[in-house]
Amino acid sequence: MKHEIRYKPSFAVIFVTLEPGESITAEAGAMTSMDARISMKTHFSGGFFSGLLKKFLGGESLFVNTFSNPTQQSLQIVLTQSTIGDIACIDLRGNGICFQPGAYIAHTPGVNMGLKWAGFSSYFAGEGLFKLQLSGTGQVFFGAYGGLTQKRINGEFIVDSGHLVAYEPNIKMSLGLAGGLIGSVTSGEGIINRLSGSGVIYLQSRSIDGLVRFLRPKFF
Amino acid sequence: MNIEILQQPDSAIAKITLNSGEELIAEAGSMIAMSGYINASTTLRKGKGGGIMGGLKRMLTGESLFLSVFRSPNSGGEVFLAPKMLGDLLHYQVSEPGIIVQATSYLASESNVDIGLGWQGFKSIFSGESIFWLDISGQGSVLLSSFGAIYEIPVNGEYIVDTGHIVAFEKSLSFEVTKAGSSWVGSLLGVGGEGLVCRFKGKGRIFCQTHNANAFGLLIGSQLPAK
Repeated sequence: MKHEIRYKPSFAVIFVTLEPGESITAEAGAMTSMDARISMKTHFSGGFFSGLLKKFLGGESLFVNTFSNPTQQSLQIVLTQSTIGDIACIDLRGNGICFQPGAYIAHTPGVNMGLKWAGFSSYFAGEGLFKLQLSGTGQVFFGAYGGLTQKRINGEFIVDSGHLVAYEPNIKMSLGLAGGLIGSVTSGEGIINRLSGSGVIYLQSRSIDGLVRFLRPKFF
Repeated sequence: MNIEILQQPDSAIAKITLNSGEELIAEAGSMIAMSGYINASTTLRKGKGGGIMGGLKRMLTGESLFLSVFRSPNSGGEVFLAPKMLGDLLHYQVSEPGIIVQATSYLASESNVDIGLGWQGFKSIFSGESIFWLDISGQGSVLLSSFGAIYEIPVNGEYIVDTGHIVAFEKSLSFEVTKAGSSWVGSLLGVGGEGLVCRFKGKGRIFCQTHNANAFGLLIGSQLPAK
């Protein structure tokens, strides 16, 4: 399977070329356009119960679509995300990656979609009881609102919760306030994510929360 | 008329240089700058889709009632046009048999390009989205805008596009609104998220936008207070 991410970083889209017999699974609604000979099948993301959990507790869609090429020619499909911004691809080789709600776009066969317990603090921060975790061998595509920055951490690292997109599963996350209650409110930093461990994280340069906070006062 | 598109694809803007006596028709409110001597007026298009009824139809399609007309008395008059959303612009040369354009993508055209309103080729109810379409024919340049970048697909055979991602398609293509997968239940309930799509057949070009303004709007809008 070949892919090319075009129109980076503002309007990134994935042009995927499926060779005969190949397939790719994508989040519901990700398909922009495709050759009509590609067949599409809708199913629960990672099985029925796991799908339900994801829907109600992880904030992800209950369904995913698998697109496959039943012909003898290579065919093209175009995938995107609902927000404008950048898209990145990760090659998994037996390891995994966790996504914040809304980041996941697509994955190739050999990668499994699962759930990882994120804890009650994550739930109260509005980010679900479970985190979407993809693991196995293959490629995973995910997107962000704004540009994507990759960062390797070692030890403790603090990120604004609206700007964290993805992180490796061995990184522990605890949510807290940035420098005490009063400080958090007055500095406008709000809830932060205290990450610890060693591994790679991905940050988005803008956040939907930020856009919503900017727009909200204009509605009155 | 000379059309130059600048700042592609993130925040595209069109610079149009008019010859003496030439006329440019544009969506009302899209002019951001122009030479001081250009005559600007507003019009209700005459002919097909023109007049009061045509104007009312334009209101129904979510477009403004009036179109702006820019006429340059001498050569070299400049008009700068820009759409409201972040995104790309496309300069398309209209010829027979014409092109179908998503109404919000129309930005401007030369005066001998006809804008037909209220095209009912898609059964909008079944496509689940309130998208309106313009039937553009005649001869000359038309400028189209998009949310996101525009990519061109030369179709020869069959091709599927999500209805929210169509900017325009040539009328040499036939089409049907259909389900994306093999199951009708899934498509009608919208559980797969793809709902119904447009299946094009034949030979011709389709212009797609990388992002769907509606989908982005829903993502933001669901977190905003109800008005």
